Amino acid sequence: MAEDEDEAGYDEELDDGSGGMDVGGHGRRKRLFSKELRCMMYGFGDDQNPYTESVDILEDLVIEFVTEMTHKAMSIGRQGRVQVEDIVFLIRKDPRKFARVKDLLTMNEELKRARKAFDEANYGS
Amino acid sequence: MADPARIKPEVKPERTSSANEEHPKSDGADDGPATSKPADVNKESSSQDPAKQEEKSDMAAGEDEEEGTSDQASKRLKLEPEKKKERRQKVDEDEIQKMQVLVSSFSEEQLNRYEMYRRSAFPKAAIKRLIQSITGSSVSQNVVIAMSGISKVFAGEIVEEALDVCEKWGETPPLQPKHMREAVRRLKSRAQIPNTNASCCSWL
Repeated sequence: MAEDEDEAGYDEELDDGSGGMDVGGHGRRKRLFSKELRCMMYGFGDDQNPYTESVDILEDLVIEFVTEMTHKAMSIGRQGRVQVEDIVFLIRKDPRKFARVKDLLTMNEELKRARKAFDEANYGS
Repeated sequence: MADPARIKPEVKPERTSSANEEHPKSDGADDGPATSKPADVNKESSSQDPAKQEEKSDMAAGEDEEEGTSDQASKRLKLEPEKKKERRQKVDEDEIQKMQVLVSSFSEEQLNRYEMYRRSAFPKAAIKRLIQSITGSSVSQNVVIAMSGISKVFAGEIVEEALDVCEKWGETPPLQPKHMREAVRRLKSRAQIPNTNASCCSWL
C-alpha cells in the first residue's frame, strides 16, 4: 500500500468513482486522527494495540462520513452553509446518532449556563 | 468534547445519565466483543427490569394523580408535563445508580477500556478545519460539537460491526482490514452509511 505523502492539503477529491471504499486511493493525506482513533478503537472493544491499517481504514471512513454529511447539510436548509438544524435533520432516522447529538447540545447549553453563572458569581464578589 | 473529569460535580449526574444510554453493557465478561449501544442498551435494560421500572413510574404517576384529582382539571393538565419530567428524572436516577453499581464492579482492564471509551474524542480543531475546507466558510461551534459527536458514534458502529464479523469468522482481535471492510459492506446494505453516489436499487 504505497502512500503518497505529497501535500498536507485537505482538498477532498470525493471519490475514485466507486463507493470510495478503496483504501489505496485515500492514502495521500497526512493522518489526522491516528492517536485519537487508536484510543477510540480500544474503547469500543478492539485490542489495546489495533493494527495501523485498520486505523487507517477507519480514519478514511470517518473523513468520508464527515464529508458526506457536510455536503448534504450544505444542500438543505440554507444553501452553502452548514447549520446544526441541518445535521439534526439528516440523522433523524438514526436513533443513536440523533440521541447523541441532542444530548451533546443540551449538555453544552448547560455547561455554558453553569460557566456563565460561575463567572458572574466571581465578578460580583 | 465534554470531558467527564473536568465537569463540575453538580453537572455530573446529567453527564452520566446521558452517557448511560451509551454505555456498553458488559456482563462482567472480559472485553466481550459485543458492546451494545444506546438503542440496544435502553432496550436491554428496559427488558431486564420492565416490572421494576414500570412499577416505579406507576408509583410516581399514582402519587401525582392523587394530587391532581383533588384540584381542578386545568391544574391536572398543568401537572402532566411535570409528571413526565418527574418520571423521566426517576428513570434517570435509576440508570445512574445502576451505572454506578456496574462501574464499581469493573476489573482493571475493564476500567481502562471504559475510560478510553468515555474520554476518546476527535480533536475539535481538526474537525473544524475539515468542515471548513469543504464549505469554504466558517461554521459555528455547535456544528463542530455535533459533527465530532456523531463521528464518534459512527466509528463505534463500525468497530462493533467489525467485532461481530471477527467473532463470526472465528478469529480474534485485533481487527484486521478485512473485518473492517466486511463491516462497512454490511452497514451499507443496511443503509447506515450515507452514500450519495449509489442510485437507488441499481442492481435490481
